[in-house]
Amino acid sequence: MNLPKATHPTRREFSERMAQRGQGSDFAVFESDIGYSTYSYLFGDKFPERYFNLGIAEVSTMAAAAGMASSGRPVFVCGYGVFLTMRALEIVRSFVCYPNLDVKILSSHGGVTAAIDGVTHQATEDIAFMTTLPNMKVLCPCDGVSAQAAFDLALDHPGPVFTRLMRDPLYSLYPEGAEFRLGGSHTVREGGDITLAAYGDMVFETLEAADRLEAEGITAKVMDLYSLKPLDFEGIEAAAMATGALLVIENHQERNGIGAFVGDALARKGLCLPFDHIGLKDTGLRPLCFEHC
Amino acid sequence: MKNRIERLEALARELRFHIVDMVYKAQSGHCGGSLSSADIVTALYFDIMNLDPANPRWPGRDRFVLSKGHACPVQYGALAMKGYFPIQELGTLRRLHSRLQGHPVAGKLPGIEITTGSLGVGFCEGIGMALDAKLRKEAWRMWILLGDGELDEGSVWEAAQAGAKYSLDTVTAIVDRNGLQNDGFCDDIMPMRSVAEKFRAFGWNTLEIDGHDMAAVVAALEEAKKIHGVPTCIVANTVKGKGVSFMENKRDWHGKPPNEAQYAIAVAELKAEAVR
Ligand SMILES: Cc1ncc(C[n+]2csc(CCOP(=O)(O)OP(=O)(O)O)c2C)c(N)n1
Ligand SMILES: [Mg+2]
Repeated sequence: MNLPKATHPTRREFSERMAQRGQGSDFAVFESDIGYSTYSYLFGDKFPERYFNLGIAEVSTMAAAAGMASSGRPVFVCGYGVFLTMRALEIVRSFVCYPNLDVKILSSHGGVTAAIDGVTHQATEDIAFMTTLPNMKVLCPCDGVSAQAAFDLALDHPGPVFTRLMRDPLYSLYPEGAEFRLGGSHTVREGGDITLAAYGDMVFETLEAADRLEAEGITAKVMDLYSLKPLDFEGIEAAAMATGALLVIENHQERNGIGAFVGDALARKGLCLPFDHIGLKDTGLRPLCFEHC
Repeated sequence: MKNRIERLEALARELRFHIVDMVYKAQSGHCGGSLSSADIVTALYFDIMNLDPANPRWPGRDRFVLSKGHACPVQYGALAMKGYFPIQELGTLRRLHSRLQGHPVAGKLPGIEITTGSLGVGFCEGIGMALDAKLRKEAWRMWILLGDGELDEGSVWEAAQAGAKYSLDTVTAIVDRNGLQNDGFCDDIMPMRSVAEKFRAFGWNTLEIDGHDMAAVVAALEEAKKIHGVPTCIVANTVKGKGVSFMENKRDWHGKPPNEAQYAIAVAELKAEAVR
């Protein structure tokens, strides 16, 4: 894999676009005291009257966002994945998703890759929770161009949208102007022997793996599933049938993630082909059992 | 008394050194809120709490919960100095497979009672632990350290009501009132007004002290032990980043590691103070 290193993490790219699009749109931004981490302060500095820092209070912040959005104004709620999708889950479900309000979630620190902060900061079940909620759309861009595009998709879609973003800067994959759509995917490497489908930071791990497979004489097609809900199942199916095998890779629990969803969809269609998916196997980054101490 | 306080002051200086040293080595972690609470944590671990480091799960021990879990360098440092694990292990902070995770995790490191790091949770866990002690008719005390920004979380006030309802007089909550949270001064992000008045309105006994005056810290913690019928909240007025001049009272030293030059200055300052 020969890609340039990214200068900024996707959390920052998303927020930079948010600060740009603040002009000409009347959305508000809600923050819970980690604006220097989500980079929502970039919007706050430009549009202080539409930036609300409600303190370290994720549950009431989410509920207040639902309240403001009930008038039709889009509200972006910014924070870490664990706090927004888990602590505030009931609010997101009953008061944002069921009434189909225009609340968008900027969710940083996705997956175990927020590793050095420890288990309380690793959102490894967020995709399961968010994709399960009616009306919710779910995005996971992997680089700067797709993160900025994800902001546009979120703002331009009327209704709740969750975007998983990463803590650390990774690589730049897409050229400026690349196109993205809800329900879309991109083939980022061609190959004929197997399809490897990934999202977020796992796209880069998967490209790396495809390099190694090529050294062993196996060519892998790599797909970036940046839109997790709606998911481009047709595209995945076509690639799987053309290459004859499918592996889904995700930085998330194996259970109830995208791999499980794809397997379920394949089975329901009666499609039979070599298939597997990789994620966390019912554990955190380290065993969560209680050792003697 | 004088010797007792001087000994604690020296220990607090050593603890401050370990905090800066481990965050520097990890190149990640929270200096500001660890330094502001170093005197309180020193008094608890080296004077007030009833502990047996050789037997970390001795049932009669006092319990400490770091509700502001991001400040774990202060607790890891104190535990290592008490002999719960080797001092050298502090150098593994935030590394893969280390027992010293970025926020405290239960079941890994001796002396860590329960998982914290998600603000507004540890305090509630501590209330639950104290309810269990009451049920078992055990007399150990529950000490909980909170951040002032952390008080934004509604769950703190929900559990505060429960603490008063069940007359949990074995519970002492200490609020590290350093006036700063992640995005800026508490007064700008979410004005808290009087923390002591709020806790009083929730049915708690309250004390307010200078959290860097070791004699005052020890006296307040002792006083809390004597209160019957209601839980106590000690509001400790502190300076975030206390002890390292360029970190003091600065927002951007909440969660940032020092670079090599800054580390050298910090160590010099902490040592210089130790000589005085
Ligand atoms: C539920 C939750 N929300 C957000 C965070 C991120 N966070 C970590 S520290 C911090 C600020 C804490 O301020 P304060 O409680 O005053 O701590 P101190 O000043 O003592 O460091 C925030 C928002 C978190 N750890 N948990
Ligand atoms: Mg504070």
